[in-house]
Amino acid sequence: MLSERAYDFGLKAPHLVNRRDITLLTKDIAGVIDLPAEITMIIHAAGSPDNRLHASDPLKVMRTITMGTEALLSSASRLPNLSKILNISSGLIYGSRNTDSREFNSCGQESFSFNNAYIEAKRYAETLCSVYGNQYKLNIINIRPYAFVGPYQLVDRPWAINNFIGDYLNDCPIRILGDGETVRSYMYPSDMSLWILKLLADGHAGQSYNLGNPTPITLKSLAEKIASAMHKKLPVQVKYYQDHSLRNSRFVPDVSKAHNELGLKVTVEIDEALEHTLLWNLSQYNSVKN
Amino acid sequence: MRKVIINDPTLRDGSHAIRHQLTAEQIALYCSAADKAGVPIVEVGHGNGAGASSLQLGESLLSDEVMLSIARNHLKTSKLGIHIIPGFATIERDLSKAIDLGVDVIRVASHCTEADITERHIGYARRRGKEVYGVLMMTHMASKEVLAEEALKMESYGAEGIMLMDSAGAYLPSDVSEKIGVLVNKLNIPVGFHAHNNLGLSIANSLAALEAGAIMLDGCARGFGAGAGNAPIEVLVAVLQKIGYDTGIDLYSILDAADLAEKKILKEIPSIQSTSVVSGLAGVFSGFSIHVNRVAQSYAVDPRDIFFELGRRQVVAGQEDIIIEVASELAAKRGV
Repeated sequence: MLSERAYDFGLKAPHLVNRRDITLLTKDIAGVIDLPAEITMIIHAAGSPDNRLHASDPLKVMRTITMGTEALLSSASRLPNLSKILNISSGLIYGSRNTDSREFNSCGQESFSFNNAYIEAKRYAETLCSVYGNQYKLNIINIRPYAFVGPYQLVDRPWAINNFIGDYLNDCPIRILGDGETVRSYMYPSDMSLWILKLLADGHAGQSYNLGNPTPITLKSLAEKIASAMHKKLPVQVKYYQDHSLRNSRFVPDVSKAHNELGLKVTVEIDEALEHTLLWNLSQYNSVKN
Repeated sequence: MRKVIINDPTLRDGSHAIRHQLTAEQIALYCSAADKAGVPIVEVGHGNGAGASSLQLGESLLSDEVMLSIARNHLKTSKLGIHIIPGFATIERDLSKAIDLGVDVIRVASHCTEADITERHIGYARRRGKEVYGVLMMTHMASKEVLAEEALKMESYGAEGIMLMDSAGAYLPSDVSEKIGVLVNKLNIPVGFHAHNNLGLSIANSLAALEAGAIMLDGCARGFGAGAGNAPIEVLVAVLQKIGYDTGIDLYSILDAADLAEKKILKEIPSIQSTSVVSGLAGVFSGFSIHVNRVAQSYAVDPRDIFFELGRRQVVAGQEDIIIEVASELAAKRGV
């Protein structure tokens, strides 16, 4: 595992770091020149989806994704035994609003905005992968992840579901900003991991696959599920302040390609995912309080 | 009927006007009156927010802890709010303690181009389950595009609404419409406006903000606030009632609260002094008035000259020491 913060990862997950089949390499991805020659497959996941970082330090975000991807691909092109690279892009490249990913037509973004740093960088990285695949005959598979929920995902992440879980842990009303009709879908990490490994092993080079749960849920329904989970009965507050209908977004993947080509299915649906996630968070929350 | 959320910082912004010398009795009396009137949020603390009591900014008579405890005990339905500026307020020393004392609403403020500094404070307050707003101060100093970018940062950090402050009372209604309008279009969270009355436009600017799509307004009893004061809450409520907005505030009770404030808290009712007008024109923080007038007297220079020079240097709150530097330079020039 190569990361600028590999040491921090080691502190958080000593049970993984101490495995004999895992080696940590502390390096900035954008500065990589040579990779260990024995590498046969690469999962390239550098770049944080945290939109707080996108807002505060968009240059760093762009640098990590664009220069990091180029440095990695350049190094990878010299590996003698490399068979595949899996580039983890983003479902956001379809555009952040009203996206169902059936086709990639217009970006739907204001291009001249610092807020697009992450998305534009991810698009550029996909193109880089395509170019390296063509010029250096690298087998590169592109995947576009959507939203996830599960243990180890901290409640301070800046997404609605994390805020809802935070409110749940604090026994506060679950607060929804907007009218609650924004639509999302959530994949559990065990499915995510399985899909990534399957795509790495059997995905077709030069192809892009969406990664996520295709079952949609409105934020209002999600909040209601969390509010009543495990015998709690927290109120749900919809903080509706103006006609929000034009601002409601839909971020749900069409995963028919992964399903049809590789037989991939979602095995953990939202209710089970929430139960596992809330139990894990409760155990963490209680251990901190005690 | 369209709803407007009114936040009342009489016991916070008003602290500037009495050098942060609010007494326990004043806090208790006003909180009870505002609570009775149905004011949604009552903001309490040092003029520059929690943790700001200091030699440079002025020391509070009471500690934050005492002020918040008294307010908490006298607010039954109104939410208790605080204003915090990262740098003056730390998470461990101030924010965490305030939440433990029962604060409901936290407004995390920064200079209009420095929203980055609010990330940790906003995040912490959200994790503690509190209602959090981002506040951009001295917003006349930035373009609408820059304000939108800074507001988007605060939204990404978890702010549930954004307040634009006209800290210098420098805006005309057209400025407010333009800037609030852009934020309303760009953000997915509510937008609000905090007026100052240096140019006599606090109510007009507040209405312009509402017409541009804002849904939150600040108002203080008799306009009790820094410099020429803020939008007077009792006037704001009356005007909004006349137009047909729903504030949820009882008119007679808020008039009573303002009368009480005049009698028990205000040493003098905020008025638009000459220096306030100049402060608004120069775009200098309203809270500088007391310091500028004092220093001008010491150095025997015209306080209006000080304000215009401070405006030229684009001085912001926290740079009060520059007042002396400017006065001293003006005095030296006059000597030459």
